[in-house]
Amino acid sequence: MTDGALLLQAAADSTRAYGEFPVIGARAFIWITAEVHLMFAAFVLGVPMFAVVTEAIGIFGGDERYDRLSKEFTRLLLVAYSATAIWGAMLVFGLSTLYPRFWAYLTAIFAPSMWAYAALFLVESFTLYLYYYGWDRWKKGRAKLGHWTLGILLNLWGTIVMFIANSWLTYMMSPPRDITPTTDPTTIKLWHAIANATWMPINVHRVIANVVFGGAIVGAYASYRFLAAQSDEERAHYDWMGYVGNFIAMSALIVLPFAGYWLGREIYQYDQSMGITMMGGFMSWLWVIQAFLIAVLFLTGNYYLWIGMGRIPGAERFRPYTKYLLIVLVLGAIVWGTPHTMIADSKELAAMGGSHHPFLGALGVMSAKNTAVNLMILTTFLSFLLYRRANTRPVVPWARGGTIIQGAMFALAAGVVLFYGIRGYFVEAIVRIGFSVYQVLAVLSCIVFVTVIDVLMARGAQSLGTIQWGKMPPRSQYALFILAVTFTWLMGLMGFARSGIRQYWHVWQVMQDTSKYAATPALGYASKMISLCVLIFLTLVAFVFWLGGLAEKSTFVASGERQGGGRHVGH
Amino acid sequence: MTAPALRRSATHPFWQAVGILVIAYIVVVWVVPLLPGSAIVPKSVVLQYMVTVLVGVLIYVSDNEERWARFKEPIEAVLAEPRLRVVRAVLLVVVTALVGLVAYGQVATTVAAPPNLRSIHPAPPAEITFRGRSITLTGLENPLRAHPESLALYLAEGKGVYYRNCLPCHGDHLDGQGHFASGFNPLPANFQDNGTIAQLTESFVFWRVAKGGPGLPREGTPWNSAMPKWEDFLTEREIWSVILFLYDQTGWTPRTWEKTGTGDGGRGTGHD
Amino acid sequence: MWATNLKVVGIVLGTLALYTLIANKIPQVQSEVPQTLTLGANVTPEQLVAAGEKVFNGIGGCPTCHGLGTRAPNLLTDEKGTGPIGARCGKREAGKSCKQYLYESLDNPTAFVVTGYQPIMPVMTRQLSPEQIWSVIAFLESQGGTVDVTGDDVAKAKQLTPGASPANSGGSPGGGAFAAGSTDPKAIIQAAGCLACHKLDGQGQVIAPDLTHVGARRDAESIRKKILDPASSIAKGYEKLAGIMPKTFGTMMSAAQLEALVQYLAGHK
Repeated sequence: MTDGALLLQAAADSTRAYGEFPVIGARAFIWITAEVHLMFAAFVLGVPMFAVVTEAIGIFGGDERYDRLSKEFTRLLLVAYSATAIWGAMLVFGLSTLYPRFWAYLTAIFAPSMWAYAALFLVESFTLYLYYYGWDRWKKGRAKLGHWTLGILLNLWGTIVMFIANSWLTYMMSPPRDITPTTDPTTIKLWHAIANATWMPINVHRVIANVVFGGAIVGAYASYRFLAAQSDEERAHYDWMGYVGNFIAMSALIVLPFAGYWLGREIYQYDQSMGITMMGGFMSWLWVIQAFLIAVLFLTGNYYLWIGMGRIPGAERFRPYTKYLLIVLVLGAIVWGTPHTMIADSKELAAMGGSHHPFLGALGVMSAKNTAVNLMILTTFLSFLLYRRANTRPVVPWARGGTIIQGAMFALAAGVVLFYGIRGYFVEAIVRIGFSVYQVLAVLSCIVFVTVIDVLMARGAQSLGTIQWGKMPPRSQYALFILAVTFTWLMGLMGFARSGIRQYWHVWQVMQDTSKYAATPALGYASKMISLCVLIFLTLVAFVFWLGGLAEKSTFVASGERQGGGRHVGH
Repeated sequence: MTAPALRRSATHPFWQAVGILVIAYIVVVWVVPLLPGSAIVPKSVVLQYMVTVLVGVLIYVSDNEERWARFKEPIEAVLAEPRLRVVRAVLLVVVTALVGLVAYGQVATTVAAPPNLRSIHPAPPAEITFRGRSITLTGLENPLRAHPESLALYLAEGKGVYYRNCLPCHGDHLDGQGHFASGFNPLPANFQDNGTIAQLTESFVFWRVAKGGPGLPREGTPWNSAMPKWEDFLTEREIWSVILFLYDQTGWTPRTWEKTGTGDGGRGTGHD
Repeated sequence: MWATNLKVVGIVLGTLALYTLIANKIPQVQSEVPQTLTLGANVTPEQLVAAGEKVFNGIGGCPTCHGLGTRAPNLLTDEKGTGPIGARCGKREAGKSCKQYLYESLDNPTAFVVTGYQPIMPVMTRQLSPEQIWSVIAFLESQGGTVDVTGDDVAKAKQLTPGASPANSGGSPGGGAFAAGSTDPKAIIQAAGCLACHKLDGQGQVIAPDLTHVGARRDAESIRKKILDPASSIAKGYEKLAGIMPKTFGTMMSAAQLEALVQYLAGHK
């Protein structure tokens, strides 16, 4: 051991290792501040992506509605930014006063990256100010493109900031293997610590999840405005906005499991026992809850689309088929939710001969679950396709053939998924894991090719009437709320999973948690904490939205005034 | 009920919904256990399935304005129409009684042990101490497999070990149905089941055999298994040979370790 | 408008309540923290003393000799008016504080032997972890003296111990097997301190039966039984000493060590 390490050890021993927070305790304080900070951070990273994409659609598509939508959200960002910073500051103060020894360790390794983080946050804030306040100034031509570039920069800074923060927490989870409890933290190379095994998977996973989250929150905002709307026109505007938010959230959600799969694989590769703790150990029930939430997302998302068909002339052609999609989704949800180890009393256990059901147990293993979720993704995609097609009748000469090819692609993808799902039962685990890659590839390529065909086929398609935006029953809007709450809760749950698999380590197998909070709590306690965090976050977001409404009632512009010059008029 | 009335009911969303729920319940509770090799479905799983079906049914009846309106008709009628006063009264009594029954079922004391969850495959430690010697479990293979030429010998040895030690609980068919099996909670593992050794690496099985019930981490509780700590009675080679026998006899192949890639940027996975 | 607001609030709260309810309905499992004896820098004297008492009576097996006062001084009672060990430890050796003296007697027991006793004590630092050693010292100091052991002593000792491994997850925590698990019978006999009472091949004490020809009197099975359960049979002429031989050897040795020892002794015909 080097002298430096000895000195550090001495310093560490002479400082207090843990502090205590009144009433709720140190861990609960860190939990709440970290989670709410993270939710706001996801919001301020997800919404700019949303804003830049919608602004681009406005610029290149020529539809001014998108531009206003984009601006409306950037306005909300201003307040959300300070909320993020406030909760971040609370987290840092919490860490340095409640976990001083751990915080000292982390700063010893990551100090330079923390300075970079702070600097980038500053740059990001100023980019945001320019982006928002320059909106009406740089409105035309080249200036508009420059303005859009600002939006891209905003996203770039935000993403780098997130990557830096991710490196700290992924280091806690998967420190490089050559770092041991006796390694002097000051000798650890910064980049070595940053580029740890789970850093990139987490980065990618979070970027996608932020898009989902941004879309979901936008959807909830729009649905609230829809319910509160006074006129049909305003209702139409917010109905449309809710649809766009939901569309973006659901599209990104479809790719999210693949990123999650990569992360899981990296965790297994890094440390098999960590992987087993995550999937099969005391956390295995967490995945049943997660399965339930994902089933809720799929069902609610499709539900919203199907109700939405009510406002589309021509959709009645596809209505009879949605019930078959529903059947697939419900069966998928049943398989996806079947636990491997069932809760049963002693009589049931005796009848089953253990806690694996001799027949249904076959649905509890990975092969069945992968098959179920892939089929659910395909079904949801088909729902979208029908929704898209509902309003039009293709006029290209090969329309009939194209539709048959699309159908064949769906059948092929479903066939591949089922084939490998069933075959997975007859091969050993190592081969089975590889099968899920084939299933994913089949589904993804089906989505890509079918979409390409669909876009080509939609050229010059004949419209069957204008979509009657706003003609939606209130329950569709409540569905959007459920989506937003579920996404947020799911985020809290996955955060608990990621952080909980470290168990009694601050830094996995490097720095042990010796506080009285070392044990990872049971799911019941965790769920209460998650609900509390979601409630705090949603209350604050509602406040932010309300503030936005105070300044300017809405971006909705009545058609008469729009022709007059397109200025924002308050209601 | 006449035939046309029956047909009208069959197309009415409300009665469709009721019908689907009843059919789903019958299938889960009575049909599934009848299938070959099946058993009763635990109540918790029945509840889960029924909730999923209920959500699906609710989506079905409400995703279309017209259907939703028709679905609500009988409900509103029962709640408001004067001519259905009797039905309303009966419903009120039945619902109240049901709630009471459920509440009673929740608080009534029974002699049965409460349902419990044991994690069948708790996370194994990275290394264990076997008779004072450290054995690293991560990446460990069955050392006996390195000598394919003497496999038959090891199998015979493992068979002997099994019949001398494991038979009373795990049974003649390796299905967890030994003579003493019914006396245990949890039941002895059924090696024929695709959910036990078929899902595990041999090193995991070695850990469970060597450390037995007392070596289970807390997630394997509440009732620790009665499996003895076999390291006190068997040698390392005997345990490995009996594991060999288990896989050979059941026809399962052990889970293999993932090939660890050579990462960049210190993503060391192979060395440790 | 208020109706809408209430509905929205109701839906949000209802969804949260549902998820929380489901998560609370399933069986609750907490993760497990390994119960190794980890004494951090901020350990209190009370914690050390409590831990030390357990080691003294348990894995350390100290009362075997120190509880009687015949083979070794009784540590917990008064000795010739000097008080129990906590009170007298500072005066045993000139220039050595109580803490230093106690550490020395555990680390190098033959360096200073109280008059009237034989140098029979095994080296305890080979059998116990630094945490265990220092907690025992704290416990002994608490017997009539003041505890001045701190977390620093433990931390320093841990750095000095070669191969002090990070807490190993799983396996059996605490207490090393005799002689680092060696199956050399001579090393086991040395580490277990058998010769403190028994004589073997001309070495050791005569408190208990001579083991030089034990293999002629007992077979392997009988020797094994005697070690595991000393009260099971008492050699003729030693009835008065029944109960002196520690019952803990069975748990302190691995099965392989026990077997090696039994075979070695059975071979002494």
